[in-house]
Amino acid sequence: MSLGHEHNGAADGHHQSAHHGPRTLPSALAAPEIVDVWRTRLLMVAALFALLTIPFGFSHEGKNHILRAYLLGYMTCFSFAGGGLVLLMLQYVTGGKWGLLLRRPLEAMTRTIWVVGLMLLPILFFMKHLYQWALYPTAAATAEALAAHAITAEQAMTADAKRAMLSPASATLQSAVIFGVLLLITYFLNKWSLQRDADPARGTQGSFDAWRIKFENLSGIGIFIYVVLLTDGAIIWIKSLDVTWYSSIWGLQFLVGQGYAVLALSILSVILLSRYEPIKTLLRTTEQHDLGKFAFAFVMLNIYLTFAEFLIIWSGNVPDEIPWYLNRIHGGWWYVCTADFLFHWLVPFTLLLSRDLKRNKKKMIWLTCWMIFARCVDMFWLIEPNFKDAAGNLHISGNIGILAYITVPATVLSLWGAYYLTQLKARPLVNVNDPHLEEILEPEHAH
Amino acid sequence: MPPREGIYGLIAEFNTPSELVHATEQARAAGYRRMECYTPYPVEEAAEALHFHKTRVPLVCLLGGLMGVTTAFLMETWVNVWGYPLNIAGRPLFSWPAFIIPAYEWTILFAGLSAAFGMIALNGMPQLYHPVFNAPNFRNGATTDKFFLCLEASDPKFSLSETRAFLEQFPAISVVEVDH
Repeated sequence: MSLGHEHNGAADGHHQSAHHGPRTLPSALAAPEIVDVWRTRLLMVAALFALLTIPFGFSHEGKNHILRAYLLGYMTCFSFAGGGLVLLMLQYVTGGKWGLLLRRPLEAMTRTIWVVGLMLLPILFFMKHLYQWALYPTAAATAEALAAHAITAEQAMTADAKRAMLSPASATLQSAVIFGVLLLITYFLNKWSLQRDADPARGTQGSFDAWRIKFENLSGIGIFIYVVLLTDGAIIWIKSLDVTWYSSIWGLQFLVGQGYAVLALSILSVILLSRYEPIKTLLRTTEQHDLGKFAFAFVMLNIYLTFAEFLIIWSGNVPDEIPWYLNRIHGGWWYVCTADFLFHWLVPFTLLLSRDLKRNKKKMIWLTCWMIFARCVDMFWLIEPNFKDAAGNLHISGNIGILAYITVPATVLSLWGAYYLTQLKARPLVNVNDPHLEEILEPEHAH
Repeated sequence: MPPREGIYGLIAEFNTPSELVHATEQARAAGYRRMECYTPYPVEEAAEALHFHKTRVPLVCLLGGLMGVTTAFLMETWVNVWGYPLNIAGRPLFSWPAFIIPAYEWTILFAGLSAAFGMIALNGMPQLYHPVFNAPNFRNGATTDKFFLCLEASDPKFSLSETRAFLEQFPAISVVEVDH
């Protein structure tokens, strides 16, 4: 048993004896210069993986795989942008010092929403290569496809029944509404955040309360709106890849998945920033520990929902539903399925059980990167088996294009990351007109 | 067990937590290790000054959880495969997905109970007698507004006269011997 003083956990722990009074707020709150270096590195990674992707375009089914892999990249970026927005709103309605340092990174994520909206355009443009309902957009086309045995009777009937929602025009309209509303909420939250800091009455209880209430009033309803819109987005972008598939937990599952990814990215951001001022002074081990616990909760909730969905469908054993899982378990997919379980849940779960790990900066950097990777594995498992050539048949020989699932998301995520860092640099790294600022400047205790 | 005889330690009574913390830090710097602070409410600085080590409660909790998951899973396996093998919708007898939820519940139950009882046990509870209650005003002060530091006689550095002199340099209300 260690008798050591585990005050700051990290190796570079700037030891501060307790009861020696609060630290002072650093005078410069702008993001450190190093952010530019990180951005350059991300752009280099993006360029490298973009080059690596090119050969896949010439392989058999390569273009289709690139498009599907792009969908994966898009959805992960949407997780960060949209999930960042919902976590920001959650922080406004709950309050608490745990999230004060996350606000500016989360705001930076939300300000990428318009880029993510533009990223959807290629998917809308090439949608008939992804979605069966877009390939046969009318009742006549569907009937023809059925007669030609291109689709099954069940697919034809479901497609006809769902046409109001799943048709190119309708899907485009829904996407436009989703991004329109999210942009509107993002605009106000970001605008107010700067106004709050510039408030002439800042630092007074009146100002704290007025701004808190203003943010709460938008965020409360905003969370509800977001959950509805996300459910719709998850259905039209991912779930409808298999037109017959339905699962009522899908929206919630994506929501939790986004919380998982966004927390991982925001913890990663603040820990990396904490090597430099101003976050070096501001990030205490206490708050890092709290964020680790929060991430742990999402890891748990994520497996809970995923497993519950599986258990219900497994128990029902209905021919309508069970093939969705069979396509994802048989024919080599068992390995991916197992890896998904291990990467997505078992590894983060067992590691985050440890108090020391949650308080350790270096280990948390590795773990959060791992969690983001695990999200991509999970999304791969959700997306690829929807397609005829891959359902229940994971193969790489003669199908080298499937490796685009590594290169394309890496490109897309790096590009998005570079823009995220640009936005992160655009504002001071901490909200100053908030009563919690004083609290996080207080010395922390070992317990 | 026969009652232990002799001196348990020297206890100093302070009016404020900062005096207590200061004295604790000095005592540690002087080489004392077997000591304890008694305060009416949690004083984190005092725990820090004592270099309060980690506890084994998390380990007990983890072991409890592992015990819960194993017990439940094996029990369900036994019941379904050997004890009362029933054909349920043509599924295999060893239908592990159905076992997960109860196993999960047992994990939480065992982990929770282990944490609670493990904490009580590691605290040395139930304890019907503790020598520090022999100190004057401890019974009342330690639960209302006084802060106590006890340097225990089992510390190799403990010497009745030197330790007393050491404690008396602080603005303590009193420094008294506590018998077992």
